[in-house]
Amino acid sequence: MGSSFIISLLVGTLRTSIPIILAALGQVYVHKSGTLDLSVEGTMIFSCLMSFVAAALTGSLTFALIIGGVSGICYSFIMAYLTVNLKSNQVISGTALTMLATGLSSYLYRVVFGIRSLPPIIENFKPINFGILSKIPFIGPIFFNHNFTFYFMLILVGITWFIINKTSYGLKIKAVGEFPRAADSKGIEVNKIRFQAILIGGLYSGFAGASMSLGYMNTYTDQMIAGRGFIAIAVVVFARWLPVRVLFAALLFGFANTLQMRLQSIGVTVPIQLLQALPYILTVVVLMGVSKYVKFPSYFTQPYSRDKK
Amino acid sequence: MNRIKKILPSIISIILAFAAGALILLLSNFNPIESYKSLFNGAFGSAYGISETLVKMIPILTIALGTSVAFKAQLWNIGGNGQYTLGCITTVVVCVYMPGPIWFKLIIALLASIIVGMIFGGLLGLAKAKLNANEVITTLMFDYIIALFLSFLVYGPLMDPDGHNFPQSKLIEKEVLFDKLMIGTRLHSGLFLTLILVVLLFFFWKTKEGFRIKMIGANPNVARLSGISVNLQIMLTMGISCAFAAIAGYIDVLGIHGRLQDNIAGSLGSVAIVVALLGNLDPIGIVFSAFFFSALTVGGQCMQRYMGVPYSLVTIIQALVIVFVVASKIIVDKRSEK
Repeated sequence: MGSSFIISLLVGTLRTSIPIILAALGQVYVHKSGTLDLSVEGTMIFSCLMSFVAAALTGSLTFALIIGGVSGICYSFIMAYLTVNLKSNQVISGTALTMLATGLSSYLYRVVFGIRSLPPIIENFKPINFGILSKIPFIGPIFFNHNFTFYFMLILVGITWFIINKTSYGLKIKAVGEFPRAADSKGIEVNKIRFQAILIGGLYSGFAGASMSLGYMNTYTDQMIAGRGFIAIAVVVFARWLPVRVLFAALLFGFANTLQMRLQSIGVTVPIQLLQALPYILTVVVLMGVSKYVKFPSYFTQPYSRDKK
Repeated sequence: MNRIKKILPSIISIILAFAAGALILLLSNFNPIESYKSLFNGAFGSAYGISETLVKMIPILTIALGTSVAFKAQLWNIGGNGQYTLGCITTVVVCVYMPGPIWFKLIIALLASIIVGMIFGGLLGLAKAKLNANEVITTLMFDYIIALFLSFLVYGPLMDPDGHNFPQSKLIEKEVLFDKLMIGTRLHSGLFLTLILVVLLFFFWKTKEGFRIKMIGANPNVARLSGISVNLQIMLTMGISCAFAAIAGYIDVLGIHGRLQDNIAGSLGSVAIVVALLGNLDPIGIVFSAFFFSALTVGGQCMQRYMGVPYSLVTIIQALVIVFVVASKIIVDKRSEK
């Protein structure tokens, strides 16, 4: 116990939050534009596998990360087409696509790697050496001892904040979620912006999935994402769709997850399974606690078409 | 004509999903014709295959009935797995630990499962109605929570003391379990209970309460204006929906499992969503689609065993069926509008 326990708890919190933050940031665009995208989980599973395959075949992690993002965009293209073009039910489409990704990734993994006695392993992102900075007591090990995915995530928080709050594109996204009809009359193509927002969400989910196989672990399993995509959706609501708050809201979940792992490793007598349920329980509690008090985008989950009221 | 128009998108979707599955098989160096043949033979090729298809159909059908109730009200209860597990836990606890005659245990276990399901669903409904907590996320998170809770039970307090440390509970006495319908198969009399539920739900939709549920799905504002308490209806609907899944757990424990095991629900909940949607949320339609999908499940295991095709292909086909159903319904609707 003592300071080393606290440091490992904080480092773990930051580390385990990375995929949730990445996915939740993407959902800021998607939610604000008026879509509930439950395929996030599926997109993460799919791109987690694709980036893992890319890393295993080429050995280049940068390339694998890009593949993760690209496969995220490709996969969410289906979601965008179904919900924006066909105006199909968002919940059903998202659930179906998550199921599809579960089956597809599990199938592809078996086809690509076959059945082996030892699972394939990749060389994953190693902690970046910041020299003297990493040696600062307390701060060094907590902030300057992570791998690339952590700093990449921080950069994306900044970029997302900038795009949403400081650009006209961010304004357009908000407009199509709040007042699609008014946006339309101002010449904003509502469905085009919504389509793009879902693809942007897919890009982020893709990075989130990739960060799991390339940064968090060095292998792939079918149950790896384990609801993180859905937790990300709860996080965005909790963070009231503000990118910087997403960062802090997700830390809470990272904390629950890390606490559970650390308590297990120091042999606390609470049963493992009850500790493992902690992040999921937290998600439910948070959702029940805040959903009533936050203001969802006015046209959340409602498809837009010109000739219908 | 109208009937055909309703079924047509489902049929087309199934064909398209299988065609896509064949393409995936081709691309991954499997022979699609041989693979599908083995799938078909696994499900229908023998009396045992057919009986297994029926055995698997029982929980899928029962959960799907519950799913359809919630979906009709536009409430997206997708946590069938967790609710099924709740029913399993309740039934085992009652039948193993409560003294009493057999008939008494059977009735109390059924009532207890229904009550647990109703309360659980009612609370989630309350969270939705009063706190605006999205039911998709809450039902799904409870899938994880309940699965972990089950795991805790079978590794901890409910573990069979004579079970050589296997993660499973004590076996329920043989006399309490449902009778087998055919010797040499696992088909049990729980099938009748499921069919009774189908009939009950069929007539439920013709009652006032059934109408209210449909109404809050169709237009909550009109429902509110016509004096229906929408919040109460949301709680009731979620309660009924979850109770069906809990009954499915009750039937399966007494019919095939006989005890609790880790991960007892498998992927029943997600199959039930597909089944409910493919069956047009209509009890009779759901019977057919449940039979079809349970055949796919049984056949898929056979295909994996004999042809080496990963079982996940079945998951892919199931998901594609929904994607195509969703898409084709909209296309058909648009056409008929013109």
